Amino acid sequence: MPFEIPLFIRSVPILLEGLTITLILSILAILLSAFWGVILLLSMRAGKFSNAFARVYIEIMRNTPIIVIMFFMFFGSGVIGFPLSGFIAGLLSLVLQNGAYVAEIYRAGIQGVSNRQTEAGLALGFMPKRTFLLIILPQAIRKVIAPLGTQGVMIIKDTAIVATISVAEMTFQARLLADRTAAVFEIFTALAIIYIVLTSIFNLGIRVIERKYGYKN
Amino acid sequence: MSIKSDLVPEIEINNISKWFGDTKVLDCVSLSVTKGEALAVIGPSGSGKTTLLRCINFLEDFQEGTIKINGEYIGYKHTTTEKNYRKRQHERDIALMRTKVGMVFQSFNLFPHMTVLKNITLGLTKILKQSVSEANETAHQLLNRVGLAGKANMLPASLSGGQQQRVAVARALAMKPKAMLFDEVTSALDPELVAEVLDVIRELIAEGMTMIIVTHEMSFARAFSHRVAFMAEGKVLELDVPEKIFENPQNPRLISFLERFHKGYQI
Amino acid sequence: MELIINSIPLLFKGLQNTIIMSLVATLLATVLGILFAFIQIFSHFFIKAVVEVLLYLIRGVPLLVLLFMMYYSLLYSGLQVDPLIGGSVVIGVYFAAFMSEVFRGGILSIAKGQWEAGYALGLRTHQVVGSILIYQALRIIGAPFINTVIMIIKGTSLVAIIGVTELTFVGRQIVERTLEPFLIFSLVALIYIVMCYSLSLLAQHLERKIGYVN
Repeated sequence: MPFEIPLFIRSVPILLEGLTITLILSILAILLSAFWGVILLLSMRAGKFSNAFARVYIEIMRNTPIIVIMFFMFFGSGVIGFPLSGFIAGLLSLVLQNGAYVAEIYRAGIQGVSNRQTEAGLALGFMPKRTFLLIILPQAIRKVIAPLGTQGVMIIKDTAIVATISVAEMTFQARLLADRTAAVFEIFTALAIIYIVLTSIFNLGIRVIERKYGYKN
Repeated sequence: MSIKSDLVPEIEINNISKWFGDTKVLDCVSLSVTKGEALAVIGPSGSGKTTLLRCINFLEDFQEGTIKINGEYIGYKHTTTEKNYRKRQHERDIALMRTKVGMVFQSFNLFPHMTVLKNITLGLTKILKQSVSEANETAHQLLNRVGLAGKANMLPASLSGGQQQRVAVARALAMKPKAMLFDEVTSALDPELVAEVLDVIRELIAEGMTMIIVTHEMSFARAFSHRVAFMAEGKVLELDVPEKIFENPQNPRLISFLERFHKGYQI
Repeated sequence: MELIINSIPLLFKGLQNTIIMSLVATLLATVLGILFAFIQIFSHFFIKAVVEVLLYLIRGVPLLVLLFMMYYSLLYSGLQVDPLIGGSVVIGVYFAAFMSEVFRGGILSIAKGQWEAGYALGLRTHQVVGSILIYQALRIIGAPFINTVIMIIKGTSLVAIIGVTELTFVGRQIVERTLEPFLIFSLVALIYIVMCYSLSLLAQHLERKIGYVN
């Protein structure tokens, strides 16, 4: 089947109608996940019980497919009488799951800073908390920029799944179009290209941040 | 000199015992270092010498005994009321006591994300609450003293091992400690870089800094320390002036330890 | 509750398909992944560039979009391909991009000295790889490999959208009938969690066994 350029070009604006929602969803999900991850991290460091809860939560979220979480939220909320829109259900699911991944990234980053740095701080006479804030944390932040970038790309891609709970983002638009037209290959190629552009811009942004803050090791 | 400084040792280790699980790594160790004394600690790996050093600034906990620095307890306060006759200090007091001893580590442990200058001034500004200009001046003076005058704004990664270690010494000295603890500070250095660090330590000894040096550099210990302690299996087996230790050792384990160094090395 | 007991057999039928798809996809991803990894390490500039661009493109697109691409293309082209197979293939190719990173990392992380020691003994490339590196690489890739398999298993849930009766699809069917989304989807999640967490424990165990740090 020949690839028809005109159809390819004409599908782009229709797909871009969903771009706004894709972008808003992506940005909100990334920011809220970063924040939720901090909360989870703090509870991991807060004490035995809160650590246990956090770990169980993280393992549940890491081992469940995102679409199952979304169905749970979307259909579940409908049945109990507080129906969440697909957007909210999708956003909630993305944050709940990716917050767990992000918390693990934070934790690994902190652990990756050598114990010897802590010792050097303590030996100077810093209290443990200040040693953490002044010496460990700045080093950890530099280490986590790259993994957080990878996670961000995953979030952007996962926003496509909210199409299955009727959110009018790009993939949803593509599907609508595909159900009406025969030019499916052109449509989805265009869609794929838009996603590649999006993730590439994001990757570039991450690399700029990395260069600015000097990644260690 | 007041009478106090003659009677009260700068570092006083009283019957320290430490277990790691079932292994006893320090066995009832007692040691005193007077003001201005440079004590070298030698011994085979696993003898507990590094552990002992780390107990002095309480980087390691110990199950029995007490330690005093300049007459004040660190880690545990002696008391007649508590079960073990000692009571653990608050974090804040421990941190305060740590400012009174400076430690230099085998792997330098400089803060990689800060410049050389910042490494030295961090403790001054954040703990001693000095002004930035005051701290910077102290830091520059110290850098001069260790021979690294122009390196203030460089990052540790761009310095050689010997230079990094000298920065580490400056960082510890900045806090104006009562005593210095050197934990095998040349063991991780290339041989040609060892001398520059030992030179700095030698000058400190000449200036009268109280210190404990855990080391494998036998010729240095022989030439410049005031007393040498030989440790093995968590105990101090012999403690004497360098001449006696190296030329007329008594303890059999010390004799065999030194023999291993004699082969091919000049003492 | 009764509902749970009645649903379990149905869910397990769906689970069968999930497992089949995961196995097929993992096999495909592993084979392609090794191939891509070798190309990235050993090939000349041109082939290497093509493969690297290809892998970058695959990683930049959501899996769901690729699945739709396959589904609708097959639909309109009239080819009779079971979406289960088609889905497995797409998932396999998608995760081959990730697998190639796993294998590339494993091969590269073996210290260069090992290569040189092998060459110094007079071995040729394939002998060095076969006798020396394979064992060291396997120890290093064990954990990331399993983590990718976990991602594959979770990825199979997306084919529910194109009508394959795997675990998630069956779950949705049951919910549409019984209107108990919390219960049923929790059950579905539990099954995934049991599968994936067990694998993740295995991965953690392997990571611990590695022991040495470079």
